Amino acid sequence: MTANILDGIVLGLQFGLLAAGLTLVYGLGGVLNLAYGQMAVISAIIVALAMDAGVPTWPAIGLGLLAGGLLGLILDLTILRPVYRLRGEARVLLSLLLTLGVSFIVDGFLIWRYPLKALTLRVGVGAVEILGVPMRWGSLVASAITLVTFAGLFIFFQRTSLGRAVRSVIEDEEGARLIGIDPNRMLRLILVLSGVLAALVAVTRAMVTPVDVQSGLFITVFALIVTVVGGLGSVAGALLAGIIMGIVNVVAADLIGSYISLIILLGAAAVTILIRPAGLLGVKE
Amino acid sequence: MLEVTGFSAGYQGNDVVHDVAFHVDPGEAVMIIGSNGAGKTTLFRAMCGLLSSSSGRILFEGDDITGLPAERIARLGMRFVSAERHLFPRMTVQENLLLGAYPRRPDPETMSIVLNLFPRLAERRRQHARTMSGGEQQMLAVGRALMSKPRLLVLDEPSTGLAPLLAKAAYEALGVLRERGLTVLVAEQQVPLAMAFSDRGYVLENGFIRLQGTTEELAANPGIRSAYLGVT
Repeated sequence: MTANILDGIVLGLQFGLLAAGLTLVYGLGGVLNLAYGQMAVISAIIVALAMDAGVPTWPAIGLGLLAGGLLGLILDLTILRPVYRLRGEARVLLSLLLTLGVSFIVDGFLIWRYPLKALTLRVGVGAVEILGVPMRWGSLVASAITLVTFAGLFIFFQRTSLGRAVRSVIEDEEGARLIGIDPNRMLRLILVLSGVLAALVAVTRAMVTPVDVQSGLFITVFALIVTVVGGLGSVAGALLAGIIMGIVNVVAADLIGSYISLIILLGAAAVTILIRPAGLLGVKE
Repeated sequence: MLEVTGFSAGYQGNDVVHDVAFHVDPGEAVMIIGSNGAGKTTLFRAMCGLLSSSSGRILFEGDDITGLPAERIARLGMRFVSAERHLFPRMTVQENLLLGAYPRRPDPETMSIVLNLFPRLAERRRQHARTMSGGEQQMLAVGRALMSKPRLLVLDEPSTGLAPLLAKAAYEALGVLRERGLTVLVAEQQVPLAMAFSDRGYVLENGFIRLQGTTEELAANPGIRSAYLGVT
């Protein structure tokens, strides 16, 4: 059981990181980015290509993060322009359609051009024992990076004035404008941040399991589920929901079988939404 | 300080306020009074960049701010406190106040002025804005606007949702600010409150400015006395 819970936490931290980038963009700008997983995959492929070209691992990872941020910026400057002119439901729907289109194009391109490319990052050899359970180095490093990232996000949102300004837009967009905060600039910043987070997802995941060119859809779907359970716009909610769902997933896979764990995960998500429509720590009512 | 000329605005091409003209001089307290639905809120929202206007011009300290978005106007030093307050509900009183100064570093002196003016806010610094009463939320909305050291404070119905005593207290606090030299423009339907506070005023009816004058002139006007002051 301890092993299951530790594995669940490792997986859950990944889920949480997946959701963080998506939930912020949705909570802040009402933009649902279905190309989120593809942003992660492009970053992963860039890291893999850089390493093929002889770039050492950590600088290659740096390139990947940079690429992720750039992808966020490109989305903001191009296909999201028409989305920003709309409000409310129309905005969500158009962003969903346009980014879904982007995800198809990216998937098509990557499968055509790099069909067998995958990113695997080997960090350390062997295993270490934690609470009597042998854990792989890759899982530990990935979890440590995720925890540090979350700590960084919390400090940014709680302690810096820029972070507070971003939160103010999530809380009340008109109120933010009335004190001189431009919601569109905050959204651009958050899109860049979400791109970097997507790249971090790819990198940490590659420490545990290979990230291939077809991982995009999986990443987006899990990010969506965790986002909805955690509450739109809440980073703490993403972390909490991620860990809960990670543990549920691993325990269910162990007790019942991995073929049914996704169904149980979706069931848990559905129950949460029925009990708390805004999600565990939802900001928007 | 503020000069509005030939200003019309409304929703989806239907103007609610028509050809409005008024001005506010530095150091003045000016009221725009009128009944519910006269167009006060539409006028203020359009003036502050939350709604587009269909014609007219707004000069703020000599700069043409017509059509600028709300965030730009706020940064120029004209701060709008909406009747709906638009606080950040899940942020603490402290965070709401700090954000008022954004993007500048909050000035401790301004913070202590605000907390002295509204001691309730000092008591509730760590509390979430949404857990506060209507009166406290109104104080916080004004306090947040003050944190930026505004040149002009524009208030839409500060008495909204407040019990009579609290509404009076809100205006007393505004009176203190006025004495310190803050320029204030206020829209109010509870006319006696606004009159006790303002130097001059304009009467808005069905989207048109019908009357203007000093507070004394308006208070002496028989039409105003019967329509807004309940004197027959």
